[in-house]
Amino acid sequence: MIQVNDLRKEFKKTIKSPGLMGSVKSLFNRKYEVVKAVDGVTFEVPEGEILGFIGPNGAGKSTVIKMLTGILTPTSGTLEINGQIPYKDRKKYVKEIGVVFGQRTQLWWDLPLTETFSVLKQIYQVEDTAYKKRFDFLNEVLDLNEFIKSPVRTLSLGQRMRADIAASMLHNPKVLFLDEPTIGLDVVVKDNIRKAIQEINATEKTTIILTTHDLNDIELLCKRIVMIDKGKLLYDGSLNKMKRNFGQAREVNLTLFHSADAEKFKFNENFNIGQDDLHSTIDHKNIKINFNTDKVTVSEMLNYILKTSEVRDIAVKDVDIEEIIRRVYKSEVTL
Amino acid sequence: MKRIFKLYGTFVAQHCKRLMEYRIDFLTGAFSFLINQVINILFISIIFSQIPDLQGWNYQQIIFIYGFSLLPKGLDHFCTDNLWKVSYFIVRRGDFDKYLTRPINPLLHVIIEDFQFDALGEFIVGIYLVTSASIKLGLSFGVVDILFLIVAVIFGALIFTSIKIAFAALALWIKRSGSILHMFYMSSDFARYPVTIYNNVIKTIITYIIPFAFTAFYPANYFLTGANPLFNIGGVVVISVILLGISICIWNKGLGAYESAGS
Amino acid sequence: MKNPFKTYSAFTKAGIQDAIAYRANFLGFFIGEIFYCFVMFFIWKAVFNSSNSPTFMGFSMIDMTLYLFLTNITVFLTDTDSSYAIGEEIRDGSISMRLIKPIKIDLSLLFFELGNKIIIISMVFIPIILGIETYRTIATGGIAFDIVQFLFFILSIVLSYLLSFYLNLAFGYLAFFLMNLWGFNMLKGAILRFLSGGAIPIAFLPIWLQGTLKIMPFASLNYTPVMIYMGKYTGTDLIYYIGLQFVWVIAFILLCKFIWHLAAKHLCVQGG
Repeated sequence: MIQVNDLRKEFKKTIKSPGLMGSVKSLFNRKYEVVKAVDGVTFEVPEGEILGFIGPNGAGKSTVIKMLTGILTPTSGTLEINGQIPYKDRKKYVKEIGVVFGQRTQLWWDLPLTETFSVLKQIYQVEDTAYKKRFDFLNEVLDLNEFIKSPVRTLSLGQRMRADIAASMLHNPKVLFLDEPTIGLDVVVKDNIRKAIQEINATEKTTIILTTHDLNDIELLCKRIVMIDKGKLLYDGSLNKMKRNFGQAREVNLTLFHSADAEKFKFNENFNIGQDDLHSTIDHKNIKINFNTDKVTVSEMLNYILKTSEVRDIAVKDVDIEEIIRRVYKSEVTL
Repeated sequence: MKRIFKLYGTFVAQHCKRLMEYRIDFLTGAFSFLINQVINILFISIIFSQIPDLQGWNYQQIIFIYGFSLLPKGLDHFCTDNLWKVSYFIVRRGDFDKYLTRPINPLLHVIIEDFQFDALGEFIVGIYLVTSASIKLGLSFGVVDILFLIVAVIFGALIFTSIKIAFAALALWIKRSGSILHMFYMSSDFARYPVTIYNNVIKTIITYIIPFAFTAFYPANYFLTGANPLFNIGGVVVISVILLGISICIWNKGLGAYESAGS
Repeated sequence: MKNPFKTYSAFTKAGIQDAIAYRANFLGFFIGEIFYCFVMFFIWKAVFNSSNSPTFMGFSMIDMTLYLFLTNITVFLTDTDSSYAIGEEIRDGSISMRLIKPIKIDLSLLFFELGNKIIIISMVFIPIILGIETYRTIATGGIAFDIVQFLFFILSIVLSYLLSFYLNLAFGYLAFFLMNLWGFNMLKGAILRFLSGGAIPIAFLPIWLQGTLKIMPFASLNYTPVMIYMGKYTGTDLIYYIGLQFVWVIAFILLCKFIWHLAAKHLCVQGG
């Protein structure tokens, strides 16, 4: 469905020295530098997949999305979506995609939602019957009816986001780009939006590219993620694989009855492995152990703990992907 | 094309609804426009209270030229006001992306999306001044003249539109070009008076380089004196078509260079 | 309060940087206004050519030229964004960002704009004044520049700016009570242009109207400094008109405080 090959985008940027003198200097003498916003990115997305596209701020995510949506022309490299090249025949291409930029709205600010929809219906030349069908579906998924008659500026952020997603779906696009669709929303609303995205994907087989900083979005929606930083691809694969590759995939937290018992635990000696594969911290009665499940299984770990001391409470958890990504960003780990 | 017109209709209807929301705003805006026109006319009257004619042009003739200048300007103002927003903030805020994700020519989309009803004031004042000056001057309009008038107004408006497209397109490179557009747009004030009062440099500039003289004085000159229709009316058509071609080229180049906003 | 100048000079610095960043913008705007001056210049030239008398209602061609360019530069210098800026902040609620800082709203805006003005003065005011003086020297065949007059002109322009600032600020505060200011801003612009002599010299208007306009605050906005520069106001006249400007500045500062006071109550009623 989507094929991206060695995609690059360079920008020219004015260098400005800081401070007042800097701006005065730049009046007379301007220097430019070439910024490689996207530096050779290659990936593919099959039809009907929800792809999580992640990376820290300024990583080049938006630039990639803008090239995929035909807004920007790549400096070099190829991209093909559904057999089309976005920047070549833009008008024809954009009929088949929907775009939501979470921080901007494409709705008409002073008018009710119905007005925006009727214009979009005309812009995308959606037939009456098809439109009605689409609208009913979107209304069911996104609950539009409760606010469809009020001017857009009076909508809450969550309502607006639902409206924006609906607006981008009216023409039944084959690919939907969602750029931070849950930004600034509360937990309940986020949940609703995620369910809606899932349902759209399941029912319509829409391919979805999702960028987000909320890793719960990724965990709940995407089987596969592509991570970029500084314009380069860092990781492309399934979420599970990333978790597996990331060694210390489990964390055990336990609380003891007596803090004196803590001294009985000698994790590294017992399993005979180094700090890289097992790391523990002790804080009075609380002990936290991060370990690599390839070296020590969870049951071995629990056996050892229960054998060594009496325990008031014990919890085993997945290391959350936030932690993984934080470390990848900091280049502590290569995937 | 039919589709574009239909879409245009929908936008107009929407805009009317929006006007009703902000009707006080709309009324005060229109009223302030009227005040500005009255001041300008008052200014011309004060001048003519002291002199019999301005280098051979009498009061009513000047009023005719002034009134005529409002027609193409008003028409353009009504239709393509959104270009101002492109040059001032649509590109800078990154809202231009929207137009590029729609299956319509972005330039057409920008233009048909918004109108300025205030411009009706320009149009009405213009028609009033042209009519009253024509009556007082005893001008007679034949069928051909009326046809010429319509052609001159439409193609004159196209000159304004072309200039606006070219300088709005500049924003696609430099993010914000509103004031540069303002600068060139302001020079259309030159065209409200007979070009014969200017020196040769200005005359050449407003005839051939920023050809605003074709939006007002030249066509008005034909209606007032019947002189040289080929240059005065034909010139409007030729110049505006050339200018539009150039502007669209610049616009398309700008789209290629567009860098969007944010990371 | 510590040295207040130190607190607010940060705003001035920011204003300078802002003006430099958008220099192309304001230069373009300025050249547009200069175009307008030249249109008027040629019209007046044609008027004087068509007239038998060397003066037009007491203005010579040299006077008229000076008037055109001086009015323009004065308007440019005393122009202020305060009405628009504060109106927008009130409308979108970002005014609260100013309210939570230990600063005065009017002064923070004023000092920010001051930074803008410094750039404008260095980039356009000085060249324009030099141009005007060169023209005047050549046209009159002798140096007409008078340093005392010029200093009074500067004083008068500072008062004009302050008046313009507080008048517009008072207007901008209306956004607390009205939903949208756009139309009113247009209306204000049109009326001010006329009443302040920006469109037509006040001297050309009927006598009864002249008297009223000169006492009202509008003439103080830019007619007074221009007349001082041109040497039309001297002696007691000069002191009178500068005094009048001063009175109006104080009046509008008080008005702003009053409206702010009312608005603050208004805010409380709405529960923030």
